[in-house]
Amino acid sequence: MELTKDNIIVQRPYKTVYRCGDTVVKIFSKDHPKTGVFNEALITAYVETTGLPIPAVKSVDCIDGCWALTIERADGRTLEAKMAEEPEKRTEYLEKFVDIQLRVNSFKATHLRNTRDKMEEEINSLKNLDPSTRYELLQRLHGMPRHTKLCHGDFVPSNILIADDGSYKIIDWAHATQGNAGADAAISYMRFCLTDPSMAEEYLKIFSKKSDTAIQYVQKWMPIVAAAQLTKGVPEEKELLEQWISVAEYE
Amino acid sequence: MDTNEPKIPEIIDAPEALAAKMQAMRAAQAVYAGYTQEQVDTIFKAAAIAANKARIPLARMAVEETGMGVVEDKVIKNHFASEYIFHAYEHTKTCDVIEEDPVFGTKKIAEPLGLIAAVIPTTNPTSTAIFKALICLKTRNAIIFSPHPRAKKCTIAAAKTVYDAAVAAGAPKDIIGWIDVPSLELTNDVMKGSDCILATGGPGMVHAAYSSGKPALGVGAGNVPAIIDSSADVRMAVNSIIHSKTFDNGMICASEQSVTVLEDVYSEAKKEFTARGCYFLKEDEIDKVRNTILINGALNAKIVGQSAYKIARLSGVDVPENTKILIGEVESVEPAEAFAHEKLSPVLAMYKAKDFEDALEKAERLIADGGYGHSSSLYINTDEKEKMALHAARMKTCRILINTPSSQGGIGDLYNFKLTPSLTLGCGSWGGNSISHNVTVMDLLNIKTVAERRENMLWFRTPEKVYFKRGCMPVALDELGTVMGKKKAFIVTDTFLYQNGYVKPIEEKLDSMGIRHTCFYDVAPDPTLGCAREGTKAMTDFAPDCIIALGGGSAMDAAKIMWVMYENPDVNFADMAMDFMDIRKRIYTYPKMGTKAYFVAIPTSSGTGSEVTPFAIITDENTHTKYPLADYELLPNMAIVDTDNMMNQPKGLTSASGIDVLTHAFEAYVSVMASDFTDGLALKATKNVFDYLPSAYENGAKDPEARDRMATASCMAGMAFANAFLGLNHSLAHKLGAFHHIPHGIANALVLVYVMRYNADPVPTKMGTFPQYQYPHTLERYCEIARYNGLVGKDDKETFELLIKKVKELKKTIGIKDSIKEYGVDEKYFLDTLDEMTEQAFNDQCTGANPRYPLMSEMKEIYLKAYYGKED
Repeated sequence: MELTKDNIIVQRPYKTVYRCGDTVVKIFSKDHPKTGVFNEALITAYVETTGLPIPAVKSVDCIDGCWALTIERADGRTLEAKMAEEPEKRTEYLEKFVDIQLRVNSFKATHLRNTRDKMEEEINSLKNLDPSTRYELLQRLHGMPRHTKLCHGDFVPSNILIADDGSYKIIDWAHATQGNAGADAAISYMRFCLTDPSMAEEYLKIFSKKSDTAIQYVQKWMPIVAAAQLTKGVPEEKELLEQWISVAEYE
Repeated sequence: MDTNEPKIPEIIDAPEALAAKMQAMRAAQAVYAGYTQEQVDTIFKAAAIAANKARIPLARMAVEETGMGVVEDKVIKNHFASEYIFHAYEHTKTCDVIEEDPVFGTKKIAEPLGLIAAVIPTTNPTSTAIFKALICLKTRNAIIFSPHPRAKKCTIAAAKTVYDAAVAAGAPKDIIGWIDVPSLELTNDVMKGSDCILATGGPGMVHAAYSSGKPALGVGAGNVPAIIDSSADVRMAVNSIIHSKTFDNGMICASEQSVTVLEDVYSEAKKEFTARGCYFLKEDEIDKVRNTILINGALNAKIVGQSAYKIARLSGVDVPENTKILIGEVESVEPAEAFAHEKLSPVLAMYKAKDFEDALEKAERLIADGGYGHSSSLYINTDEKEKMALHAARMKTCRILINTPSSQGGIGDLYNFKLTPSLTLGCGSWGGNSISHNVTVMDLLNIKTVAERRENMLWFRTPEKVYFKRGCMPVALDELGTVMGKKKAFIVTDTFLYQNGYVKPIEEKLDSMGIRHTCFYDVAPDPTLGCAREGTKAMTDFAPDCIIALGGGSAMDAAKIMWVMYENPDVNFADMAMDFMDIRKRIYTYPKMGTKAYFVAIPTSSGTGSEVTPFAIITDENTHTKYPLADYELLPNMAIVDTDNMMNQPKGLTSASGIDVLTHAFEAYVSVMASDFTDGLALKATKNVFDYLPSAYENGAKDPEARDRMATASCMAGMAFANAFLGLNHSLAHKLGAFHHIPHGIANALVLVYVMRYNADPVPTKMGTFPQYQYPHTLERYCEIARYNGLVGKDDKETFELLIKKVKELKKTIGIKDSIKEYGVDEKYFLDTLDEMTEQAFNDQCTGANPRYPLMSEMKEIYLKAYYGKED
C-alpha cells in the first residue's frame, strides 16, 4: 500500500484519506475511538445490503497504531462541484439530489442506530446550553413521530459523486441512522443554510413537493438538528444555530 | 418512628429519589382516601385560603423567574385559581356516596384516582399549580408536580404553599410533592409512575403524556380567531379584545390570535383599536415583525409574554412605549403567514372579510392551522341567531365565546357563569385530548355505580270495551250510534262469512241507526299485503269513522293492517315488523292509531283471541315474507264476543283453534313476563278448554254452553298473552306452519308436549333473561296449572306427568294426530329444511318470553321428536 502525501484526498484533524489503487484508505488519528471506526464499517456493510450505489467497505486494519478503513474508490466529481461549475443547471441538480435522498429514505433500516437516541445524546452533551432549553429540545424530540427509514445523516451535495457516465455514488455513511426522513431533510436544509443559503429554500420546496411532505413538518425538526450540529463546535455557525434553537413550544 | 420507613431524600433530582418520593406519596394518598367529606372540605378551604393569601408574592416570583408576563395579571390568575375554584366546588360532594336514587336502586360512589402527575407550563406556572393542587385535595388524590425548568422555583413555591396549608389542616404528609431538579427523564418517570396525568403544555408535552401509557387529561395549543360581525357593538368588541390580548402579555392559550372584521365595520374597528393605544404596523414593519415572530416556522422564544413595545424593538420597529398591541393587517390565513400563528404575545393579526361566510372560512382555516379544539370567539348582536348558529356549527373548537374577551372568558365563571372555572381546558379529539370540557373535579374521580336489581314495570292492556255473552252483538253495536254517533262503518270479513249471511245482522243494526256502511269481504286465509292494500283503497275511498272486523284471525288481522294503512298511508312494513327484545324499547315507534276510525273486532271462531291482542300477521305475497306485527297501537278499541257468531264452526276448526287457545294459556302462564293479572286469565282459560273443548268438538252447536265457554276461553287467553306474550311453542309452530303448511293450531299441538318437558327442566342450559324471572321454576308453574285443573300427584314430578297425560288425552279426543309425519310431511324434505326452519324459529319474536332460552340444537331435537311422534 502506498500512502504518500501525493495520494491524500482529504485531510481533517481526526482523519486523513488517501487514494490507494482502486480503493481509498481512511487513516484515523490515534485518539479516534476504535468503536467509531468499526461502527462506520458496520453501517457501510449494512447499507451495502440495500443495493444502493455506495462504495463497499473492504477492510478495517491497524496501521502504525492508527485504525484504518479501506473502502472502494468511487470516481467522479461531487455534486457540489458540478453545481458550482454549472450554475444554470442548479435546479436540475437539486432535483436529482432530492431524488437520491428519497431513494435512500425509501429503505427501512431497523438494524441501524436510532436517530432519536443519537440526537438525544448530542443534545445532552451541550452543557453550554441552559438546561431549560435542553429540556424543551428533548421534549420536542420525544414528540416527533418514530420512523425506521434509512437516514444518511449528512446528506449534502459534496457526499454525492457523479461519474462521467452520469451514474452516482453516495459516500460517507458514518452518520447514518434509522429514523424520520423529515430530520434528514432538516439536516440537509441546515447544511445549505450554513454553506449556501441561496439554495436552502429551493431545496426545501423541492423536497416538500417530491416527498409530499409539508414544509412545517420538516421545520419542526430544525431546532433539534441545529442543536445536534452545535455539538460540532464550529464558531462561525454558532449564532445562526442558537437562534434556531431559541423557539417556544405552544402552550 | 418506624425505622423501616424508606428514607425520602430532601431533594428530588434523580430517578431513585423520585421513586422513593412517589412511594411515600402513594402511602399518604392511601391514608387520605379514607378521609371524610368534612375533613376534605376543611383541608380544601384552608389550602385555598393559603394560596389566595400568597397570590401577590407568587405572581411576582413567576414574572421574575420566567421573565414573561405581567405581575398584576398573574395576581388575577392566582386569585382566580384559589377563590373561584374554591367557590365552584365548596359544596360539591367528592367523597363516598355522592348520589343516590333509592327508587331506581342506583348509587354513585366517588373514589380518588390515586397519584396524579401534574405537568406545569412556563406561561401560567403558579396559577396552574394552585388549580391542580386544589382540585386534587378536593378529590383525595395525591399530586406530584413536574415543573418546567424555567419556572421551577415559582411552581414549587405555589405547590408548597398549598401543601403546607393542607398538612396544617390535617392532610397527610407527602400528599403533595414535586421534582426539585426537573429533567425530561424525571418528567417521564412521574408520568409513567402516576395513575393519571394532568398535562398542561405544548403539543410535545401533551404527546409525551398520552404516550406514557397512563390516562391523561391533556390540553393543547390554541389559535383563537375572533370575528367582529357587522351587527356587533364595535366599541365593546374592540375593547374586549384589547383587554384579553394584553392580559399577561397575551400568554393565555385562549387569547385571541387574530381578529377578522367585516368590511362594513372595518374602519370603525381600526379607529377604535388605534384610539385605545394599539399600533397598526406599516407595510415594511409587518415584514420586520414577521421575521421576529417565527424562526423556521416555530415561535421565537424571545417574544413570548413580552410587551408590545419590547417585541417592536426586537423587530427594529419604533412604537410608543405604552403601545398595547402590535396589529398586522394581513391577508393570508395560510401557515406560511407568520401572523396566522399562535403568538403568545400582544401581537395580533387583523383580516378584512367581505361577508360573514368569508369570515367563517378564514376562522376555520386559522383553527386548522394550530388551534383545533381550543376556542373561538364571535362579536355579534345576539339577535342574529342564524349567524350565531352557523358560526357554532362551523368552528371546530370546544369553547365558542360570544361577545367575550377570550382569555378571561375561556377559563369560565368570569363572563359566563355556567362555563366551568378551570385552568386546564380540554380540546377534544380535535386537539388530541380525551376530554372536550374545562377540567373539573369530576375528571379526577373514579365513580362507582352501585346498581341494585329491580323489577321491570309491567302492564295490563286490553281493549277499552270487551262485550261478551251469547246475543250481545246488537246490544254492543248500539253504542256506535247512540253513544259515539258514528256515521260510516267499514266492515271487513271473508267471503264465506259474507255469503253465509254473517254480516247481515250487523248491516241491519247499522241501518237501523242510520250508519252508512260498506263491506270488504275478500279476505283469504293467511291474508296478504295485496289484499290489505285493496281493502285500504276501498276504505280510503269510503272514509269510515268506524271499522268492524268480523271473522277468525285472518279477517281481524287484515282489518288491523288496513286500519294502520288507512290512518297512516306512509307506514313501512319492514320497520313495523322489526324484532324487539322489549316492546317498550323498540327502535321503531308505531304511528298513533284511532284518529280516523274506531276499531271493533268480532270473532267468529274461538282461537286466536285477535279481538283483544296487539298482534297481526300479514304476508307479502311477492317476497313471501311474513310480517308479524306487534304493538299496542294495534289493539282493537272494542271486542264483541258473541257466541251466536261461533255456533257453526266446523269440527276441524273447533279442534285446531281450541288447542291453540290451550297453548296460548300455557305459554302466557309460564312466560317470563307472566303476572298475577295474566295468570288468572290464563288459568281459567285452561280450565274452560279442558272442560268444554271435547264437547264443543263433539256436539258443536248442540252444546251452546261449551261454545260459550270456549269463546270466553279464547278471549281470556288472548288477554293473557297480549300482555305476558308467548314462547317457544309458538316459535316452533309458526315456522312449522310456514314450511310445511300445517294449520297453526295443529302445529302448536304437535310440539306442545315436547316443549312442556323442555321448559319444565329444572336445570336448563340457559334460562330466560328478565328481572322478574329469578330462577328456573317452570315445572312448578305447570304444576299450578295442573292443580287448578284438579290434577294432583304425590309430588311435582307426578303432577306434571298427570298434566302431560291430560294434554295427550285431549289431543286424542279432538282428533289431533301424534306426529308431523302423519300430516303428510315428506321425511326427506323435512330433514333437508330442518336447519333453516330451526334457525328461523329461533329468531321468532315469541322466543324472547320463553322461560328457557333455547339453543338451536335443542330446538332441532324437539322438531325431530315431533316429526316422528317419539314417545316423549
